[in-house]
Amino acid sequence: MTRLIRSLRDGIGFDTLLIILALFYLFVFAGLPLIYNVIISFQRVDVFSLGTLWHPNVGFENYERVFNDPLARRVLINTLIFTIGSVALQFTLGFAAALFFHQRFPGATWFRGLFLAGWIMPGLVVGVLWNWLLSGDFGVINHVLKSMGWIDSAIFWRSDTAWSLYAVMMANVWYGMPFNMILLSVGLAAIPDDLYEAAELDGANAWQRFWTITLPMMRSTIGAVLALGVIFTLQQFDLFAAITQGGPAGSSTVAQYWSWELSFREFDFGRGAVISVMMIVVVLFVSLIYVRSTRAETRL
Amino acid sequence: MTAQIEIIDVQKHYGSFHALRDINLTIPKGQFVALVGPSGCGKSTLLRSIAGLESISGGTMRIAGEVVNDMPPRKRDLAMVFQSYALYPHMNVRDNLTYALRLKRIPRAERHAKADEVAKVIGLEALLDRYPRELSGGQRQRVAMGRAIIREPKAFLFDEPLSNLDAALRVKMRKEVRALHDRIGATSVYVTHDQIEAMTMADHVVVLRAGVIEQQGRPMELYDRPANRFVAGFIGSPAMNFVPAVTGTDGRSVTLEMTSNARLPMDIQIAEGRPVTAGLRPEHLEICAPDPEDGMTITVGAIERTGSSCYLFSEEAPEIIIVTDGATGVQQGERIGLRIRPERVHLFDRDSTVSLRG
Repeated sequence: MTRLIRSLRDGIGFDTLLIILALFYLFVFAGLPLIYNVIISFQRVDVFSLGTLWHPNVGFENYERVFNDPLARRVLINTLIFTIGSVALQFTLGFAAALFFHQRFPGATWFRGLFLAGWIMPGLVVGVLWNWLLSGDFGVINHVLKSMGWIDSAIFWRSDTAWSLYAVMMANVWYGMPFNMILLSVGLAAIPDDLYEAAELDGANAWQRFWTITLPMMRSTIGAVLALGVIFTLQQFDLFAAITQGGPAGSSTVAQYWSWELSFREFDFGRGAVISVMMIVVVLFVSLIYVRSTRAETRL
Repeated sequence: MTAQIEIIDVQKHYGSFHALRDINLTIPKGQFVALVGPSGCGKSTLLRSIAGLESISGGTMRIAGEVVNDMPPRKRDLAMVFQSYALYPHMNVRDNLTYALRLKRIPRAERHAKADEVAKVIGLEALLDRYPRELSGGQRQRVAMGRAIIREPKAFLFDEPLSNLDAALRVKMRKEVRALHDRIGATSVYVTHDQIEAMTMADHVVVLRAGVIEQQGRPMELYDRPANRFVAGFIGSPAMNFVPAVTGTDGRSVTLEMTSNARLPMDIQIAEGRPVTAGLRPEHLEICAPDPEDGMTITVGAIERTGSSCYLFSEEAPEIIIVTDGATGVQQGERIGLRIRPERVHLFDRDSTVSLRG
């Protein structure tokens, strides 16, 4: 007994204890719910059976119902467009801003810090703000587009089925861009100046330095940023709830929103769980990329 | 010889800080020039100005006859070896070596042939496929050199390239860098804070302090005829002893202001009664029997033996260091006499610190 206590105080017992605590936490609060989610995707769960731990098994019935739903195809396409579009734009704009603020000019770091203001705002608040910006009658965006002469009549961003998804995407790009910028800035700052100087003396112009030094040196950062971008975008819920509620007519419904709707609006937890399970598979795959990227980071 | 690098009245300001003042330096083709001085003296700034990594605030800089004041680094055709080596971490040794050739769109086969050739010169044939992180400090250093050689540039610039190596390797690389220079005969500018590196490697040494060239010349010229007290103290190791002195009434001797009031005969004529600083190199002082009349006499304080030689430190102020034979039998606390040949005594004006030997 004293040996155990001594090991906890001085030896590797303490390290082991910390690991066990972390693993225990992860298992109880992340592992168990995940497993339970997979289980109920094969069960019939409704308002009446919600209170019990175990529900009647239905095999793949939930999966069949989800895939045969007329909305399924729309949701899949929307999710793809929303995720790829958001991540691509967030990343490109974030990288451009990071490169811009990497140039040394007075106030560069200060301005970069200001960008974070958007990122620390709660998603629902951002959603409400964009509601106003996007408003068809009095929205600033319509006003600007009209005064520039780019459109003749107001676009009803949130209620037009052709625009609703892109309305949320715009807000999401704005919301996620600062995060991309900060992570990419850190990556840029980690590249030693003398590499650029050496390349410059070796005859590389600015464009060549970007392609042969900056990009390859940023590979692991870029991998991590893209992976996190996909995960965060697949988590994006607040903006949908605040701006379009998935509508009109499902035109802006994405997987995560649909899952919530099925579970908490229609109280069909089985089908809601099916969508979650499929998203877990995607996120697991993306996490693998993330882990690989960050591992490469430590090796350099 | 044709001038490869010409620096005329060059100035560099950082805001109100005057980093380089009236720098004039002509480097003939094929010469190995060392820029040496304490940290903050402007030697690196001067090198980076030659490279084009810093812009100059005034004066003219020519490389191979062409004014380069406003030319970007990539057009100057100079190769630089950095203190950190600045190897591209994401490229293996071969790609590091051939980076500049790739930018010039030289065909792959030719590039690789050239890389093999250079790798042989610097002894890296077996390491071409390795990444910088898999190399030792000395090997990285060689890759950095190889990356410079492969380009056959107008001149090589070295920014303290050996300071990250351990002492033994530094001595070895010193010889290798010089041998390489002799083989390819390229113009080289070498920045170092280590006067031994400067003395042993360079044809021409430039001593800088606070942005000003204090003296330039062949290594032994600086050692034998330092222009001022700073250069005298900077060149040579251990550093020269400085003793306040007054010239004698005959103008052919100086009296040292030491406890023993030694009188040293001089080989030059100086105005009498002038306050000066006498500079005595530790290796030029010879031990003799103490002469109570007007000889230099000290009490031996600390003794440091390196084996091959022996450093004696005087007990009295100003402290005198003597370098003598390692086998000397001198004991701590012993009183010894010192003598020095008149032509080896350096005299500096006490106010301006300029050498009186002209």
